[in-house]
Amino acid sequence: MLVQQVVNGLTVGSIYALVALGYTMVFGVLKMINFAHGDLFALGAYLGLTFLIWGALGQGAGGLAALLLIGLLAALCVGLAGVLVERVAYRPLRGAGRLPAVVSALGVSVFIQNGIMLLWGAFPVAFPHGMVPDVSWSVGGITISLMRLVILGGSLVLMLALYLFIQYTKLGAAMRAIAVDHETARLMGIDVDRLIQLVFLLGAALGGLAGVMVGLYYGQLNFTMGWLYGLKAFTAAILGGIGNIPGAMVGGLVLGLAETLAAGYVAGEWKDAVAFFILILILLVRPTGLLGERVAEKI
Amino acid sequence: MDRGTWLRRVRRGTLVLLAGALMVGAAACGGAGGGGSSDSGGDKIVIGVQGPFTGDYAAEGKGFRQAIDLLKEQVNAQGGVLGKQIEVVYEDDKGQPNESTLAAQKLVSQKVVAVIGSYNSTATEAAQQVYADAGILHITPSSTATHLTEKGLKNFFRMAFLDSAQGQFAASLLVDKLGAKKVALVHDSSTYAEGLAKWTRQFLEQKGAQVVFYDAINPQESDYSALLANLKSTNPDAIYFTGYFSQAGLLVKQARDMGITVPIAAGNASNNDEVIKTAGAAAEGFITTTEPAPADLPYDEARKFVEDYKAKYNEDPVSIWTAMAADSFRVIIEAIEKTQSTDPAKLADYLRNDLQDFPGITGPITFDDKGDREGTVYAAYQVKNGKFTLLVPPQQ
Repeated sequence: MLVQQVVNGLTVGSIYALVALGYTMVFGVLKMINFAHGDLFALGAYLGLTFLIWGALGQGAGGLAALLLIGLLAALCVGLAGVLVERVAYRPLRGAGRLPAVVSALGVSVFIQNGIMLLWGAFPVAFPHGMVPDVSWSVGGITISLMRLVILGGSLVLMLALYLFIQYTKLGAAMRAIAVDHETARLMGIDVDRLIQLVFLLGAALGGLAGVMVGLYYGQLNFTMGWLYGLKAFTAAILGGIGNIPGAMVGGLVLGLAETLAAGYVAGEWKDAVAFFILILILLVRPTGLLGERVAEKI
Repeated sequence: MDRGTWLRRVRRGTLVLLAGALMVGAAACGGAGGGGSSDSGGDKIVIGVQGPFTGDYAAEGKGFRQAIDLLKEQVNAQGGVLGKQIEVVYEDDKGQPNESTLAAQKLVSQKVVAVIGSYNSTATEAAQQVYADAGILHITPSSTATHLTEKGLKNFFRMAFLDSAQGQFAASLLVDKLGAKKVALVHDSSTYAEGLAKWTRQFLEQKGAQVVFYDAINPQESDYSALLANLKSTNPDAIYFTGYFSQAGLLVKQARDMGITVPIAAGNASNNDEVIKTAGAAAEGFITTTEPAPADLPYDEARKFVEDYKAKYNEDPVSIWTAMAADSFRVIIEAIEKTQSTDPAKLADYLRNDLQDFPGITGPITFDDKGDREGTVYAAYQVKNGKFTLLVPPQQ
């Protein structure tokens, strides 16, 4: 029972973590919160669905490779949408302080949400079934489905890849540099605008991919889904220490676990309350978040 | 960065988040569709409809709108009532209480004679007092929470049958038909779902069955695995979910994924094909207790309504609530004709005291002193080969 709840919590948490990466990366380099990120996530889910339908792909095992392709395609589109948002809504305001940027982000959020509603309708839409073979294993009363493993494994691989990219590549080092100081980085010959675009591309793409996973897993999309997942992911980013990439991962997993255990052992309807209570508690005791110490050096 | 700066930053971030939440809320309110103003006097009679035209229950809101548009055209084609044409104004309340109050105020300001709505009990409850204060006739087609009619509001009526009756029907289905001795009840804390869950629990216990699990999901969420893991450990013989169709599909799918194989039944808010679309193969065997589907209603009015609806929209009525909305419209017209008046107080008085066995689409319509519909008709449907099929035929 406890183990089952932990598995449930980690699955939900890994999705929060993927979305949280987008918040934390943007905060790292721009010190702003991209409130449109949750809606980019929703856009990813809807694009994934559209590509699935366009592809009219068959069911079953052949689907897995096709699914990967669709996920990547959706992620790419959402990544480009993220770059566009940065170019149109944030870059012109970059010198204008933090509040105008946040207002602009909220505007973009409402814009994307309503755009999704107009394009795909206000109704909840169903995601096709059977893309991932409906296999599950039961071990000692614990049930784990293939879908869960795909989500958990996929998220962990993506997060690890991002971490390695930022730690061990030249571009990653440049991203870390602009997180510390834009001007100095510029003087060292780093193209700051290009790198900020890269941050938005990566962050939004991961969010979009998370959207596709959510669609596949739950089988239902709603044009308002970005708001709640965005809020949860934002919370996860704060919990782990915003601006810190491993922090976003840890924060997502902790939040997912906390709310699942709260639902499991307190009451279903108290799930969110308990999760946010834990957030407040941690911020009171440790305002920098769980892994927040090295915030200045990391994005 | 030192600790002080960081604290300030976190504090500022939280404030910004709060401000953001407010702004998005405000923007959403501002975006609620308006029907435009209309002149009340003169040659028109204005009837208001508030319902969830967007949001989770938008499918039902669409049914309201299509049914009422259809009937309005029929009435107007025959010359209207009292020599006047009927005009209908629609307000979207998204099924949410805060939006519902706003929608109600907008309709009141447009001088409507009567209002049909809303779909869900939570939204209807929020609008009730606004209409009571304005003295407007208010009929809900589909809100079944028992306490809505226990406030002594003289202008409020309910077309749907009561939760308590459905609770009784559900209990006998679970115990007598499915042979369940241990039942798990799941609601979503909404006015309607919690009410139905409580009634069902009461009737289950009267029948000697045991309620081994009783908890709520959060309808905003899409992951119920934590609750389901708990539920599974209580080993119930059957599950009864009293929430809405958008969540029912997710719940059924996740329960089956988790290896829960016992029968899952749900209340009348889950009688919607969306459940099958969402849950796919997992929906097989899913049961709903509900008022019969419009096409299964054994009345001439029902057959005509279903035919006309199909002819105009090329689809079946969305659910029983589409027919209930149509009936709400029909009793309003009936009251205006019989009283030769558009005074809401006179109309309400007529409906409460003089309307007897009006031949409705959903059966004979009579209202009791509280404004509740008298009688009940329930049926049970089960998903077979991807379609809702009749399991227990309509029972009065």
